[in-house]
Amino acid sequence: MDKKFSGVSQTMSRFRGWIQAGATLLTNLHLPNFLKGGLYQGAGKTVCVPGLNCYSCPAASGACPIGAFQAVVGSSKFSFSYYITGILILLGVLLGRFICGFLCPFGWFQELLHKIPTKKFSTKKLKPLTYLKYAVLLVMVFLLPAFLVNDVGMGNPFFCKYLCPQGVLEGAIPLSLANSGIRAALGKLFTWKFSILLSVIALSVLFYRPFCKWLCPLGAFYALFNRVSLFQMKVDKNKCVSCGKCAKACKMDVDVTKTPNHTECIRCGMCIRACPTKAVCFRYGFGDGKDKTNVAEMPQKNKDNKEI
Amino acid sequence: MKMNRMNTASRLLALLLTTLVVLSLAACGTKGGDKTDGTSSEPKNAEEAVAMYNDLMAQENDILSENTELWEKVYMSADKGMALQEDGKNYGDFLLSTIESAKDQFTTDEMNLLQGEAEKIRDIENQLTLIEEKYPEVAQQSTDDAMSVPAGSDMTTPLDDGSMQKFPAFEGKDLDGNPVKSDDLFSGNAVTVVNFWFTTCNPCVGELADLDALNRELAEKGGALIGVNTFTLDGDEAAISEAKDVLTKKGATYQNVYFPSDGEAGKFTANIFAYPTTYVVDRNGNIVGEPIVGAITEKNQAETLQKLIDQALAADMG
Repeated sequence: MDKKFSGVSQTMSRFRGWIQAGATLLTNLHLPNFLKGGLYQGAGKTVCVPGLNCYSCPAASGACPIGAFQAVVGSSKFSFSYYITGILILLGVLLGRFICGFLCPFGWFQELLHKIPTKKFSTKKLKPLTYLKYAVLLVMVFLLPAFLVNDVGMGNPFFCKYLCPQGVLEGAIPLSLANSGIRAALGKLFTWKFSILLSVIALSVLFYRPFCKWLCPLGAFYALFNRVSLFQMKVDKNKCVSCGKCAKACKMDVDVTKTPNHTECIRCGMCIRACPTKAVCFRYGFGDGKDKTNVAEMPQKNKDNKEI
Repeated sequence: MKMNRMNTASRLLALLLTTLVVLSLAACGTKGGDKTDGTSSEPKNAEEAVAMYNDLMAQENDILSENTELWEKVYMSADKGMALQEDGKNYGDFLLSTIESAKDQFTTDEMNLLQGEAEKIRDIENQLTLIEEKYPEVAQQSTDDAMSVPAGSDMTTPLDDGSMQKFPAFEGKDLDGNPVKSDDLFSGNAVTVVNFWFTTCNPCVGELADLDALNRELAEKGGALIGVNTFTLDGDEAAISEAKDVLTKKGATYQNVYFPSDGEAGKFTANIFAYPTTYVVDRNGNIVGEPIVGAITEKNQAETLQKLIDQALAADMG
């Protein structure tokens, strides 16, 4: 059974690019809108998509969870976004950061940029920056929109307004190209956010997924659920030869053998493919999956311990 | 071997992506670039002629809207009996002679300024006439910018050749329940500014006070400003009371109207996706220029709106 699932893990990881492409397409189904410069405003927009995908993308089929959260929390009518938080927790428990690795359009965008052949840099030494995204989540997505309100009780969606590069890429740029009224409205804010987008693009070429690692509030939210998510990484200690290839292959700077459910793990499966003994695989379900292996491991455990 | 294949594939993808990025940047470049193009050269085809024509008209409008107070004095002193259109006289010449006849009302500085500007207008008008002679269809195609009434074209009857977009008709009510008909509303005002907003839209609510000030200003000139709160369409009572709440808090006293969402105007509203959006409508119910997207609290947006209003007011006077 384990063998079979590790086969599935291998396949999933190998075809990850195609799954990402498919997810991006499903998230942005209304392609003709790019030419019209309009937005789809139907019932789909009442539901959040799992990844970071701007509501104002002409093709978007649903709402961005981070955008929707800020819109509701900053509205004068509601004090907290219960419905959206619920959806986010559900997604976090069901999939965790698997969403980052497989379903998020902006993650895919950064990965494609990273394929541009240049010298690549490691982000291992920049680890403290990974905590920045939690600050973005707390301050820009929750605190400022909820509490910095005007006289009528309305807040601004600070993350969308001042930081989100996906909004410029999918919303501002295509809309302003197709719509002269919006083009006329572009100002300093657009220049600022366009520079952010350009920086993220440049950094993505040199580093692997810089936005996901350092800034993304959605990634931060899902990261909190990696440990309890039904979607987990599993390392078979019996098969593991401690060669360290998985840690080397990991572009999110995680050692899967030590912390299989690390907050930074986006379940991309690069470790699965790097493992020479097929000891690493995806696991889906309740519990930590140790039950079965424990039985097999018991007699060997002492030996293992001695070796170490 | 497999690695190699992967590498070529990813290289190809990378190449494709870079070209895309470069192309999109290039597209941005040209977009910004063509605005600064000069307009001195001769148009090569009808399309260019239309563009040039519109550009010249815009330049003329800019000149006229820069020193509004002075020009208004000039207009006031113009001899209304003077049949300037019939004898094909240049509008710039007309202005010059009007300024000359009213010179006692201006200081020498003002005179110099006005004369200089009027001469510029005369040059623009000459260019416009040249284009019109070569491409007679141009004047018809670019009627929405008709403010300065170039020689020879008849602007007395509004053209209905589709070049002007009518604001969709509606029969609705204001938030106090008084009936409002679009035909009566527009024909009763020299210019009507229609602002689309909704209650939970922050920038929309942010400009309500400015809009109220604008409404008071317009009232003096025979115009009006109305708001359309999209939440209140079809007369949703909860939405109406919330909208009224916000309006009161922001001190906005101008009329806000709603209409059925399945009507002509309702469908028109459904296609607006950026808020606030502000339209300028003339006495004949035609939309003047392009809608202003985004709040008019931004200085340049307010200026664009003012230009459209002046354009509508001037056309109404002429």
